[in-house]
Amino acid sequence: MSVADAADVAVATAVRAETGRGSLRPVDGTGFVLTLLTVLGALFWIFPIYWALVTSFKPEEDVVQPGIKLWPEHFTFENYSFVLLNTKIGLWYLNSLVTSGAVTILVMLMSAMAGYAISQLEFPGRRLLWWLILASFMVPIPALIVNHFVLMSQFGLINTWAGVILPQLIAPVTVMIYKQFFDSVPKDFREAAIIDGATELQLLWRLYLPMNKGITTALAIITFIAAWNNFLWPFLVATSEPMMNITVGITQVTDAFGVKYARWLATAALAALPVAALYLIFQRRVTQAIMLTAGIKG
Amino acid sequence: MASVDLKSVTKRFGATEVIHGVDLSVADGSFCALLGPSGCGKSTLLRMIAGLEPVTSGTVLIDGADVTLVPPAKRRIAMVFQSYALYPHLTVRGNICFSMSLAGEPKARQNERADRVARMLQLGPLMDRRPAQLSGGQRQRVAIGRALVRDPQVFLFDEPLSNLDAQLRVAMRLELANLHNTLKTTMIYVTHDQVEAMTLAGKIVVLDRGRVAQVGSPLELYNTPANKFVAAFIGSPAMNFLPASIRSGNGASLEAAIAGDRSLTVARRNGTALAGPGNCEIGVRPEHIQLVDPGAPNAIISGTASVVERLGNTTYVYVDTPSGRIIVEAGGASPIATGANVGLSVDASQAHAFGADGAAL
Repeated sequence: MSVADAADVAVATAVRAETGRGSLRPVDGTGFVLTLLTVLGALFWIFPIYWALVTSFKPEEDVVQPGIKLWPEHFTFENYSFVLLNTKIGLWYLNSLVTSGAVTILVMLMSAMAGYAISQLEFPGRRLLWWLILASFMVPIPALIVNHFVLMSQFGLINTWAGVILPQLIAPVTVMIYKQFFDSVPKDFREAAIIDGATELQLLWRLYLPMNKGITTALAIITFIAAWNNFLWPFLVATSEPMMNITVGITQVTDAFGVKYARWLATAALAALPVAALYLIFQRRVTQAIMLTAGIKG
Repeated sequence: MASVDLKSVTKRFGATEVIHGVDLSVADGSFCALLGPSGCGKSTLLRMIAGLEPVTSGTVLIDGADVTLVPPAKRRIAMVFQSYALYPHLTVRGNICFSMSLAGEPKARQNERADRVARMLQLGPLMDRRPAQLSGGQRQRVAIGRALVRDPQVFLFDEPLSNLDAQLRVAMRLELANLHNTLKTTMIYVTHDQVEAMTLAGKIVVLDRGRVAQVGSPLELYNTPANKFVAAFIGSPAMNFLPASIRSGNGASLEAAIAGDRSLTVARRNGTALAGPGNCEIGVRPEHIQLVDPGAPNAIISGTASVVERLGNTTYVYVDTPSGRIIVEAGGASPIATGANVGLSVDASQAHAFGADGAAL
């Protein structure tokens, strides 16, 4: 090795050492406090979930003991096995799956088509229709719940899947988001496809929806989660136990066996399981959808 | 292959008329360029031929058939967009096969035709890639492939090379020229780039604010511009215009005084009777002006060389004169220096005279 090479190596080593030291960032006081607050907030938020899960693995007699025990003294699956074997949870799951699945598919279909029509088609009354959809967004769904109940009752749809599904199909936000995304598709794509011979339906199915696959996935997941977690409407419209959704079924566990906290929380944990799994798998998409529905384009 | 004819075609957006009764005939198998500055209506005209823009009045004929109200897909045209408009969720094969897939053609037939086009455009290794994985030139070729596979009667190009860098643009220009030579299909090409129009097209339609300013071959437009707009638009650097007054003239030539005393005899282009003495403008291209001594007898005007641009094969000299700034194309080895006083001699046989309304006299 020549003298010049040795000098280069020495300089490079010094630079690496310097860079190595530089990578240790100085302590940022504000950042530290903010991180601490965030961690505290997260702990505060997660504690009830942790408490519920831990309780669901405790025997009932341990649950009602005074004092706080952060970990079960006697770990048991008895609550879960009881709920799985002695309640109609299988039917409740099925009801939830069918109604939430149907709500998701129908909402996505109708919203995509409505969003496409308002975004891309020229027809009389388009602006009025858009304003109506915007206006419907201002009306809280619980305010319509009596009307919906009367309507479903008159249609003879109480205690049916259709009765649970139909009023949940009102989704102006999804229409708005689709419209917004379809608006942003460059006109050239549409025109190229028109020259290629695409009909409006083909344009939607083969161009606009695939080009917005990400948002469709995000909206579908959040719609499914909302429908799965919905309590008030399924509680009102499905009064017979075999027709109940899982969220409503939890109330039956309480009613049938008195206040059994551990069983009750085991049912709640089972009810939340699919949604939690869905969230863990599609975490990024769900966050995106939540931001979109909050009016923040991600 | 098919001819394209426009008869008194107008286009109005609300109260604003952007295309004013255009009549145009594009012969079967020809390459025609619609050339003009931004906002002149060239893309609107192309879109009306494609059927993407409704015609306010007038008729569009393709291969003699009135297609004014025929939907774009049934006009047997194909269009290449400036943005290429390649469907981002589909592969190159998917893009090329899209029209056939919409029409429900069997998969085997789709692949057979796509492969034929791919061979023609050397797209073979790219067939399974998505547009985002392609370079600008490759995207351009895919866009052409997508048009080609439809076996159209007329190809429409809307500024297809404007997103490419200069080198690639030249290469793609050659490919397009070769494609036209091979296919002999009617091609209508919109551009604001006169070099593209002049190198590719057999016929150029120069548009000015929604009107046809002139139709002709590249050399016709260059050598005999019908008006000042075409004269100024065609050629780079642009033609010089010198204010002048008409002293005398007849059907064949006119004598105009430049900068007060020197006069120039210019051949007339349209041969109509002159209204009499009046003001006009003399147009001379940079290559038809020579730098001479300021006192030379053939110097019609003199001035100071304010800027000298040396490009190697040629030198552009910007001369400030009493008639305004004049650009002169001198030889690559011209010894002219900035600040030098020079005289300008004009090749009168190559000069043009334009009346007050801009029309060639």
